[in-house]
Amino acid sequence: MRILVAEDLYLLRDGLVRLIEAYGHQVVATASTGPETLDALRSARPDVSVIDVRMPPTQSDEGLRAALTARSEIPGLPILILSQHVEQLYARELLADGSGGIGYLLKESVFDADQFIDALERVAAGGTAMDPAVIAKLLSTSAPSRGLDRLTEREYDVLGLMAEGLSNQAIGRRLFLSESAVGKYTTSMFGKLGILDDDDTNRRVRAVLTYLNKA
Amino acid sequence: MKQSGVWAARAGVGLVRACAVAAVCLLIPAVWGGAVALGIWWGPANPWSWLAPLLIVVVGTALLARPVCQVVRFLVTRWTGTVVPTGYRQAGPVTRMSTGYWWNGFSYERTRRDALMDQRWRIRWRDPANWRDLWFTLVAPFTAGLVAAVPPAAAAVAVLGLTWPERVAPPAAAVAAVVAVASAPYAWRLVEPVAVRFLRPSRAMALADRVEELTAQRADVTIAQAAEIRRIERDLHDGAQARLVGLGLSLATAQKLMDSDPVRARALMRDAQAGAVASLTELRELIRGIAPPVLSERGLAEAVRALALDSPLEVTVDADLPPSLDPPIEAAVYFGIAELLTNAAKHARASRARISLARTGTGLVVEVRDDGRGGAEVRPDGGLAGLRRRLSVFDGTMEITSPPGGPTLAVMMVPCESL
Repeated sequence: MRILVAEDLYLLRDGLVRLIEAYGHQVVATASTGPETLDALRSARPDVSVIDVRMPPTQSDEGLRAALTARSEIPGLPILILSQHVEQLYARELLADGSGGIGYLLKESVFDADQFIDALERVAAGGTAMDPAVIAKLLSTSAPSRGLDRLTEREYDVLGLMAEGLSNQAIGRRLFLSESAVGKYTTSMFGKLGILDDDDTNRRVRAVLTYLNKA
Repeated sequence: MKQSGVWAARAGVGLVRACAVAAVCLLIPAVWGGAVALGIWWGPANPWSWLAPLLIVVVGTALLARPVCQVVRFLVTRWTGTVVPTGYRQAGPVTRMSTGYWWNGFSYERTRRDALMDQRWRIRWRDPANWRDLWFTLVAPFTAGLVAAVPPAAAAVAVLGLTWPERVAPPAAAVAAVVAVASAPYAWRLVEPVAVRFLRPSRAMALADRVEELTAQRADVTIAQAAEIRRIERDLHDGAQARLVGLGLSLATAQKLMDSDPVRARALMRDAQAGAVASLTELRELIRGIAPPVLSERGLAEAVRALALDSPLEVTVDADLPPSLDPPIEAAVYFGIAELLTNAAKHARASRARISLARTGTGLVVEVRDDGRGGAEVRPDGGLAGLRRRLSVFDGTMEITSPPGGPTLAVMMVPCESL
């Protein structure tokens, strides 16, 4: 994959580049400010980009803004946001356009390199990768709306893990279910939520969006 | 007939009031006059005979100034309803120290009685209000006093004309009577504007009050800040710092075991990784408590929206704000809202809350209302008192109405000058 790394701290940027290259992917560009990131996103069109939220010159949410701007110009441009903290507010903004190819993870998720690269590949393929912290916050603020209250507890759990971006197989491992059992849950869940797409990736993203927009 | 009866009553009341005003305002000049008369009687040529009169003037004025002013205030409030604020300095609490001595804000005394006495005297004689009172006692006789003296003086002349016609000619007495009756309803009224103008707290007194308030606030803030820093230090010391030490130890041991026992070494590295994740989580929580990242990244309105999303309540946010306010004010208001939302969820068991933020002509107004069971009150050392303290630094206020059974409405205001 051709990957962009946007991170203002040299040590972290360098570490990310080395990690990605160690897994056989190609880093096509690096950026250390918001405007640089936006330029690189437009010109290099990477398969997936790893972007920090807080970057110079303002040290506010420059990276996030660059990502949102680029995605409004190039719908579905796969982007994985890495941050020191996760906010539901940002997660909603990233997912708002509904086109998938979005990840939002805490920086320490790179500690588990295999999972991190896995998440990167998932996002590049148009899926999602949400940090469990975001999902946990959403679970703790449960408000029944948009048909979510019609889900059984099990379906709700499956939806939570799906929102993190896990595959049916991975969800099955987490919940001690067989992959086909997870498949049954997801199908009934899609039915209850009225999501009738044929493409499975698309359906998953839409389920996650329903889930995130429930409040 | 009825008309003249009303007139007579008004003249009578006016005369009584004019007498009272004249008596009060002219009391101190009367003391001075008495003292001068005494000096003349003892012999004006001898300088020593003026010593006692001088003493009478000084002591008499000093002792009478405040009672005279208080009586004038009382009369003005009673007759016109106008309240003239006193602005006298108030006594602070007298507390017993661990040494057994009593501290009254100025000095240590052996007994409570001594401390109170000492405090009373110091406050009485160092009060900047004394100068204002003195100034009033100089102004009042020549304005309100003089005018108020007209009806009684005219009445006296008229009465004199009736009893001793040979001394005061009847036409003069008649004129005096007319003047007395005509001026009586109005003559005392000058005391009101004079009292309002000269008896209200002066600029110097207002400033002195403000200095006192700010001093108290500064002390409060310093204490709160020190406590906050201690808390952060303790959190870092017991949390992240200790974890990093543990992490270093695990890594050092793992390095040692790398060749001899690779299985244990790998387990230790896994521990180290878990430790790193845990300390990052702790640091994140700590940072959120000091300066929430979303606040510095997005400003107050968005940060409050983020807060609303994370709250277990169903929260709606109406924000009509300029994009950026002063960071310290944003932080104080943000933590205030966080505190109120936590209270609503934890103590009031509310299910919904509504937050509105608006910039009005007078400043920033934030309302937080919930549908909980109410009963919130501001306790010293409680969260709400801390909230008030944080806001008071910017002259901000927080008022909460929370009847038992709910609902609760809290209003925070930060005035415009501070924005």
